[in-house]
Amino acid sequence: MLPDELKFKLREMIAGAESPREKAIDVMFAIQELQGWMSDEAMVEAAELLGMTPLELEELATFYDYIYRSPVGRYVIKVCDSTVCWLQGHQRVIDYISSRLSIPMGGTSADGLFTLLPVCCIGYCDRAPAMVVNNRVFGNLTPEKIDRVLTQLAEKADFSGSE
Amino acid sequence: MPRLIIDEREIEVPEGTKVIDAAQRLGIVIPRFCYHEALGSVGACRMCAVKFLQGPFKGVQMSCMIDARDGMVVSTTDEEAVLFRKRVIELLMMNHPLDCPVCDEGGQCLLQDETVSGGHGRRRFRGPKRTYRDQYLGPYIKHEMNRCIHCYRCARFYQEFAGYRDLGPLRIGDRMYFGRFSDGSLESPFSGNLVDICPTGVYTDTTARFKLRRWELERSPSLCNQCSLGCNTAANAHHRGVMRVEARFNSEVNGYFLCDAGRFGFSYSNGGTGHRERPLSPRIAGAPASAHAALTAAREALDNIAAKYGPRAIAAAGSHRNSFESQCMLDLICRTRDWRGPVFFWGPEDRRKTLSAVEGLDGEIAVSMREIEKADFVIVVGADPLNEAPMGALALRQAARKNAPVVTIDPRPIFLPCGFEHFPAAPEKIERYLGMLVWKAVEKDAARFGKDAEEFCRYLAAECESCEPPAAMARLSQLLASCSRPAIICGTDVTLQTTPAFAADCVRLLRLAGKQAGLFFLLPGAGSFGSALLSGTDDKTFADLVEDIEAGRVRALVVGESDPFHHYPDRARLESAMSKLELLVAIDYFPSETVRRASFFYPSSTIFETGSTYINQEGRVQFAHPVHCGGVPIRGGEHPPRVYSDLVPGGDHLPAWKALWQIAGTPDKDAGPGGISPEKFIPAALPAFDGLKAGHGYPVDGPRLLTAKAGFQGKWERASADARTGPENPEAFELLMVEWMFGTSEFSAWSDSLDAAAAAPHMSMNSKDAARIGLCDGDTVSVELDGGAFEIVVSVSDRTAEGVLVIPRHHSFEWRKMKDSPARVSAEKIRKI
Amino acid sequence: MPFKYPLVLFQNRKPDRVATLDEYRESGGYEALEKFIGGGISPKEVIRLVTESGLLGRGGAGFPAGMKWAAVPDSSPFPRYLVANSDEMEPGTFKDRMLLHVDPHCVIEGMALAAYSFSGSKAFFFVRPSYESSAAILERELENARKAGFLGNRILGTDFSFDIVVHRSGGRYICGEASALLNAIMGKRPNPVKPPPYPTEKGLWEKPTVVNNVETLANVPHILRNGPEWFKSLSATEHGAGTKIYGISGRVSRPGAVELPIGTRLSEIIDLHCGGMASGSKFKACLPGGASTRFLTPEHYDIPMDFEDLKKIGNRLGTAAIMVFDQNTCLLGATLNLMEFFARESCGWCTPCREGLPYMRDLLWRIENGEGKEEFIPNLRMLCKQVWNSYCALAPGAAEPVISLLDFFEDEVRQHISEKGCPFHAKADH
Ligand SMILES: Cc1cc2nc3c(=O)[nH]c(=O)nc-3n(C[C@H](O)[C@H](O)[C@H](O)COP(=O)(O)O)c2cc1C
Ligand code: SF4
Ligand code: FES
Repeated sequence: MLPDELKFKLREMIAGAESPREKAIDVMFAIQELQGWMSDEAMVEAAELLGMTPLELEELATFYDYIYRSPVGRYVIKVCDSTVCWLQGHQRVIDYISSRLSIPMGGTSADGLFTLLPVCCIGYCDRAPAMVVNNRVFGNLTPEKIDRVLTQLAEKADFSGSE
Repeated sequence: MPRLIIDEREIEVPEGTKVIDAAQRLGIVIPRFCYHEALGSVGACRMCAVKFLQGPFKGVQMSCMIDARDGMVVSTTDEEAVLFRKRVIELLMMNHPLDCPVCDEGGQCLLQDETVSGGHGRRRFRGPKRTYRDQYLGPYIKHEMNRCIHCYRCARFYQEFAGYRDLGPLRIGDRMYFGRFSDGSLESPFSGNLVDICPTGVYTDTTARFKLRRWELERSPSLCNQCSLGCNTAANAHHRGVMRVEARFNSEVNGYFLCDAGRFGFSYSNGGTGHRERPLSPRIAGAPASAHAALTAAREALDNIAAKYGPRAIAAAGSHRNSFESQCMLDLICRTRDWRGPVFFWGPEDRRKTLSAVEGLDGEIAVSMREIEKADFVIVVGADPLNEAPMGALALRQAARKNAPVVTIDPRPIFLPCGFEHFPAAPEKIERYLGMLVWKAVEKDAARFGKDAEEFCRYLAAECESCEPPAAMARLSQLLASCSRPAIICGTDVTLQTTPAFAADCVRLLRLAGKQAGLFFLLPGAGSFGSALLSGTDDKTFADLVEDIEAGRVRALVVGESDPFHHYPDRARLESAMSKLELLVAIDYFPSETVRRASFFYPSSTIFETGSTYINQEGRVQFAHPVHCGGVPIRGGEHPPRVYSDLVPGGDHLPAWKALWQIAGTPDKDAGPGGISPEKFIPAALPAFDGLKAGHGYPVDGPRLLTAKAGFQGKWERASADARTGPENPEAFELLMVEWMFGTSEFSAWSDSLDAAAAAPHMSMNSKDAARIGLCDGDTVSVELDGGAFEIVVSVSDRTAEGVLVIPRHHSFEWRKMKDSPARVSAEKIRKI
Repeated sequence: MPFKYPLVLFQNRKPDRVATLDEYRESGGYEALEKFIGGGISPKEVIRLVTESGLLGRGGAGFPAGMKWAAVPDSSPFPRYLVANSDEMEPGTFKDRMLLHVDPHCVIEGMALAAYSFSGSKAFFFVRPSYESSAAILERELENARKAGFLGNRILGTDFSFDIVVHRSGGRYICGEASALLNAIMGKRPNPVKPPPYPTEKGLWEKPTVVNNVETLANVPHILRNGPEWFKSLSATEHGAGTKIYGISGRVSRPGAVELPIGTRLSEIIDLHCGGMASGSKFKACLPGGASTRFLTPEHYDIPMDFEDLKKIGNRLGTAAIMVFDQNTCLLGATLNLMEFFARESCGWCTPCREGLPYMRDLLWRIENGEGKEEFIPNLRMLCKQVWNSYCALAPGAAEPVISLLDFFEDEVRQHISEKGCPFHAKADH
């Protein structure tokens, strides 16, 4: 199910590690980058590459916050809900995104583009309220800024890097 | 040795003892959940808090995490510690469903006990309880995650202790879950231990579910008689049925655990259904009869035979399934009545291997399973521990966990739940590989080994010169040379007749090289050691009896708990022989073919209904107490019988030895005053029992019946070795019949519960062999034997030795078509279909 | 800026970009590496100088860096590993990110020197997912450092080889805890493990391993270049040593990270370096060192922000992440928010943390939402005491804000109970 090209890349990555398991997160991130989330089939294949049983990989996948074991949108919007963002009005950010995309917290927009999730402190407290979308962080959020980001994301097919 | 004070009492304990264990030595059981002696301490549950008043630690600390040290003063009853523990309980109970009334663990639940003893009774937490979705875990274990208190015991047992990788901790925080990747049967054949080890009711025994409460059970210390290890069990009965079996701690044998075959393989004793229905009524020519009538008629029929042909026309056969009482009784009868036998072995190979194992094992070199765990190098030769003696595989894993190298030399594609190095070797190569491994490790010291070892050393040196050792052997020999407590585990099933003695000599050589080397044999069954002890004089086996019957020398056969139809490899010959008998008397608890054909049948009681002695493969005498009186189990909801009597329905059975005694005719002069009893007839058969009080009187850890010291066993000569190994037709495959943990034993044949775990039979062969004759993994083939053909699926692996075909003695297919065992099959006789 | 202090870690700070390798070298970068590693000065000397400098770990616990390196036994096996801890998931903390975005080579050089001190040959830079930008910067600059011969095989032609790989985390607070971190790197579940053995003896794959915070490591080249005395002299207090990156967030005019002499007074930090409180805000309390420290009240507004001084008042410098709350902040709400964080991030290993934190969260939630009862207060205190005896330091840390809330703001808590709701709810809009 995983493309051969990716498998080749992953095998190479694993071969460079002290022990295969060390690369478990990287492998899952690489798969998520391509497929968005870790389906059961992806778990089984990834586990095999890593010399782990699916259960052993699941022990890790379900521990971490940034591994998704159920389908998510192309962009996962994670709004920080920890102390400083809370203080600076993270609820307004959530409410705004929620109503703009017509999805509840945890939901995925009808076009499959966005999933809205809470996340704990992302280390951008100096720019609270903040959110992280896939790998990219956006701070000092205002409705205007959120609008801009969401429009931009929806238009762009692909992007990477950081603010 | 640190001395410390716990609750104002002083105690001295060995270095490295945790405070929680030190307290236990004083009889103070500190509450705990995550701690388990076999699993070690991890400090997760925080239940074992005590207060350290003096010494290097101060304040409330976990007693499972701290080693006892000199000068410590510890209080388990200190107010602060007690309060802390009470709060831990409160936390653990926050989310508990409080479903004790419908939980099978109720009444034997550590969580229940600690909750009550901790004094927590009122729920203060007002939040909602977390709930989980349970998983299907297979036929034996029921999952009920809401009851989980997250002590990690299950995962630690399953992964760390037992070495299986399909059950573990998932998710995080208070969402933590213990389960599998997805629904499905647990892969570990030790899964039943989850039931024992879980301190609450997350894992319960599906086979016993909703049938019992602990306090309603009749409960006795018992033994497992499914393999030769003799693991200790606790058997539980209710309403004349065995409800479940649990592991019972024995420090030398099984420790805390049990394999699934041992735990779930009791259902034969409860009757079963259809062809598996347990025969509870005596029969005369197939028709039910009263106990008295059946015994009397059998005795008269035997008397007639004796009168007509003389007593030597009567033969008696037992088996490796017999209790030692039954074996001694068979021995007594044959001696006093001049009957032929008793035979306990199927053939001469079988007999010689077991005998040489029992003779080769002496008190100096024999090791227990616990000592295997402590070995720092283990060599497994001609043995498949997981299948032949499952708990032995668990012991091996413990050694491997402490970095002991494990080497297996065997024709089968062995699997062990630990790291090990496998040398596929056909039976005739096993000794050679073992010899090389050992010789290269001790060679440099050989000069000072003395005269006894001379011959063996010379032989090994010549062997090593004659052929190239497999790669990796040299490295392993080096490791063996540097270890101090090596052990050899040797099987008696697929090995040559000489191999047990060879293995014993290797151990002796290692000891001469200054190592605490140990020897551990696997025997064919729970009664094998006893069989060997009693069959010393008469060189006969069941194979001889078949000849005797064919020749008309034997006219009547008395079979005590033995089923030749299950074991004998030539079915056709057996059938014709048996039909020549004038009289077949069978005593058994299985509805076997032998029982079906018997002219007289008497039901015997099972290990759960009889007090029985077994001697395990290391010579340890152990006693299984009866747990209930047996009879037709009362099944839920049925109307009471309308015919009333004071007899127990289906309660006609007797211990096999008693039935045998009565059938043989009970001349009172043999019994002596007070009648016949094991306490008398066992020592009469085996003087070693003289000082032992049979049954209840055995010491707890079981005395070991071993000679003090035996010398080197073999007369080894290279020339004869070559003669031994040269196959008459090198092109032909050797057909090896082997045991599986599930599906091959008689217990498997008659227990529904074991079928649930049995895989379909398949034939293993080496990949090169398969390629040579054009077979692929998964192909179905027909194998043509002298006695006919059978069909089987092929499993190809380069871990199977070349030149052999490995087939399980699976009860579900007709493998008994060999003329001889071991048999040879040429390639043309194997056809793909 | 009204007070000028010498900048050390931030000396190459640019308003909008990362300092380059050349810029770092111009400021004296890699001189220490050339002198100590290139010059073959004994590793013991590195340890001696760093120990003498009084550099305390910047990851929260304040353990002397030199002592930790010295704890790797001379006789212990190879390879030996170094781990740079940039997990930084404690709410309020962002200094390590700043450091990476300002001057990554300072961290790289520090890692090489630290590893040199105990003959480490490989380092893992452990970074959380929301710091992907840091990871990317570091990976780029590692390549530059390798090209320049400061990393890799036979550094500067010496016998010393050392390299750094970036290890990406899947994101969990507990991964920052040193022993859990090691499990995480090895691809095991990141549960903490109690010593002994200490990681310095048996860490990654049973080999000696040193775990240091990124900021701790970044100080090393400067100490070695300028000497321990110079380092000590940077401090604003007698007992302190070096500078400190304070990360200030919350109700101040200019939140952000500033490098100041360690022991700079809180009042100065807020009033002078952060432009004072935000308009309309009055200082009510702050958490001085991240989410697992105690609320600090106006009474201590002048306190020198150093390990010693905060310890004296029963608090901790922690990560020096100062979260500032004003008169409109419901501190019960803030504490509840913190508890949401801790309860969510508990690894689930031990009972007090796994079950106790959600219990506390429930009680705080009930009080905040008008369902409070008097008896919740002693119960909360009791729970705080109990989680102190957890397996690792996460839960004790989580209890700190609660304890201080009850110690300093019990009236506010009681007001919630008696008024059956949050008194700030009407006033503020969060
Ligand atoms: C729950 C928890 C989280 C932690 N998170 C971090 C972290 O994100 N970064 C860090 O440097 N130290 C963290 N620590 C401290 C580390 O355990 C360790 O003390 C530190 O990395 C050592 O570095 P230092 O001696 O240079 O300070 C954490 C500790 C705990 C108990
Ligand atoms: S206190 Fe216990 S449950 Fe919490 S993070 Fe530490 S080990 Fe895990
Ligand atoms: S038994 Fe000691 S913490 Fe669980």
